[in-house]
Amino acid sequence: MITQPSHVPERLGLLATSAVDPFLTEELLKGEQVHGGIDLAKVVEPLPEDDSRWWVEPIRSLVEDAMFEFREDRTRADAWLAPRLHATLRLTRREAADKRLWNHIALAVAPDYVAWRHLSEPTVNRPERRIVAERFRGPADRQCFSRLWWAAELFRNGPDYGPVADACGNQDLVHTVLRMDVIDHRPTAQALVRLLRSGLVTTGREINGLCVAISTAGATLTYDVLAPDEPRDPAALRDWIAEAESAPPVERYELPNGPDEDPVPEESVAALTGYFTELFETAPVRGRKSGD
Amino acid sequence: MKIYPYKRLNRPITLRVTSVSLKLSDGTRDQLETTAYSTQQQAVALGIAGHTDWVSATIGLSATLPPGANAPDAAWSDLCVLAVLTDGETNVRTSAELTRDAPDGRDWSGSVELLRDDHMGRASLAVYAVGTVDGVRGRSIAETDRSWLVDTASDEPVRGLQLDVQTASFKRSSREWLQAYADAPWIVDVSARVPTVFVNTDVEGVMGLLDSNGSGVESKVRDLLIAQMATDVWTAVFHGAIGDLEVEPGAGPVFPTDWQGEVLREMLPDVVPGVHVEEALRQVHRRRTGDSGWVELQTRIHYAAVRRADATKALAYVIRSLEQMNRESET
Repeated sequence: MITQPSHVPERLGLLATSAVDPFLTEELLKGEQVHGGIDLAKVVEPLPEDDSRWWVEPIRSLVEDAMFEFREDRTRADAWLAPRLHATLRLTRREAADKRLWNHIALAVAPDYVAWRHLSEPTVNRPERRIVAERFRGPADRQCFSRLWWAAELFRNGPDYGPVADACGNQDLVHTVLRMDVIDHRPTAQALVRLLRSGLVTTGREINGLCVAISTAGATLTYDVLAPDEPRDPAALRDWIAEAESAPPVERYELPNGPDEDPVPEESVAALTGYFTELFETAPVRGRKSGD
Repeated sequence: MKIYPYKRLNRPITLRVTSVSLKLSDGTRDQLETTAYSTQQQAVALGIAGHTDWVSATIGLSATLPPGANAPDAAWSDLCVLAVLTDGETNVRTSAELTRDAPDGRDWSGSVELLRDDHMGRASLAVYAVGTVDGVRGRSIAETDRSWLVDTASDEPVRGLQLDVQTASFKRSSREWLQAYADAPWIVDVSARVPTVFVNTDVEGVMGLLDSNGSGVESKVRDLLIAQMATDVWTAVFHGAIGDLEVEPGAGPVFPTDWQGEVLREMLPDVVPGVHVEEALRQVHRRRTGDSGWVELQTRIHYAAVRRADATKALAYVIRSLEQMNRESET
């Protein structure tokens, strides 16, 4: 397994996707050897120097803690890292939509984490262990770090990261739901977590069945009417970002706090939870006998 | 064509933007000129006044429901009208209720708020009429058929494919990755947020040619060159968009909500003619990910790109100019 590059930058930067390929070597994708870091640094565009959010050390230290803590069960690292990465980086969605930032974290700052988390287990059909390239540079819901950040952003309930930890604790949920548009509606995201917590849906097939049913119903139903959300106050996020300068490292044992935005209206979450429960009970789920 | 299991209005809602104002970081507001939005293009350009420090934009809207919305025997009750702002790049979805202008009218108005921190490029704006039908709340009974585009950076309200053209010496550029392409006259990068053409200034005279104007043969050659670049761009963005499709469980591939979606909607009728764009998208996705048919499709993709780049016209003008030049040198 690879270690960090011998040269890790001190500051985060922007790495254009078209500049990534020379460093995505066959050896890296097999998890055998990583680039040295010096050549990669030459193609990185710097971020503003006066912003303390771009220090690399807090990110490095988070991924190292995750690799140590979850060395026995690496998929469980997602639920731990997602809220902490989110609370450390303190990004706006506008900033998080820039794939170059995620490219830089995956290739320059923590390629060893990408390999540790996403190197495939050997199977009969694919005996060779391998990391899919999109874990380094790829769609927002697939890339190693951006998927965690977006999961945290879409599932947090105002400052509360509790729902994020629950959602990320279920690989099927994150995998299926992050690519669906319905999740952009906050009450929908919270209602899904409620169903997960209540134990109504747990397996991949159940989650898939539920998500198909929600999407299908969503084609004719407007969830915004069934479950209205409050407008967000942009000042809360800006204040939180401004506090990054003086913020201590995020808690390792307790969940950190997110930006002080209003939580999703409780009536809306309750209404959708009830509605989705009904939907699920009548939805076709592979492997479930009708009348179960 | 979607089939709905309940009664709906057959015609779409029409949506107009009626005002746009920016809230600046010092708390003041700037009411933008009407040139910030275009009803014909259905586009809003928030970058028009050159502000870089704005916090949010308020977009005033007016929507007209199709006839029949208020019919006394309508199948729906609890009618409400929502404006919904979405952005696929940043997963934003915000909605605002509009209010009816007159008790029995079909015009509704209101405004949506767009936060600058929430968007990187373009958002889209649609309106839905929602009611209770057969006892089911929240049924969508009509919507706009084409969303408005809100561009958070552009200074001109247009919908088309945005292109960024950059010039650089590939050998000496600070973007070191360009050095690998030092012997190419230009390259296309569609992995950036907006497709970008990098023109290699190491090719001597290329800038002079690209900047040439007037009516001489040079300007015709320039147009041909641009048509060639544009063909490359259209081809590359099509492949980029198709290769990056999201697939909804049970529903198949979905149109991207950003410029990639615009490109696909525009090109697909030429790639798979004669079918609805949704079906065309499914067919193309199946061919790319399936066992056969992808190679055969390349000619059609190239055709769709060439058409968009006006390559035939550019070539015809060059030939005409060359003929004229030859004739003049003979006499």
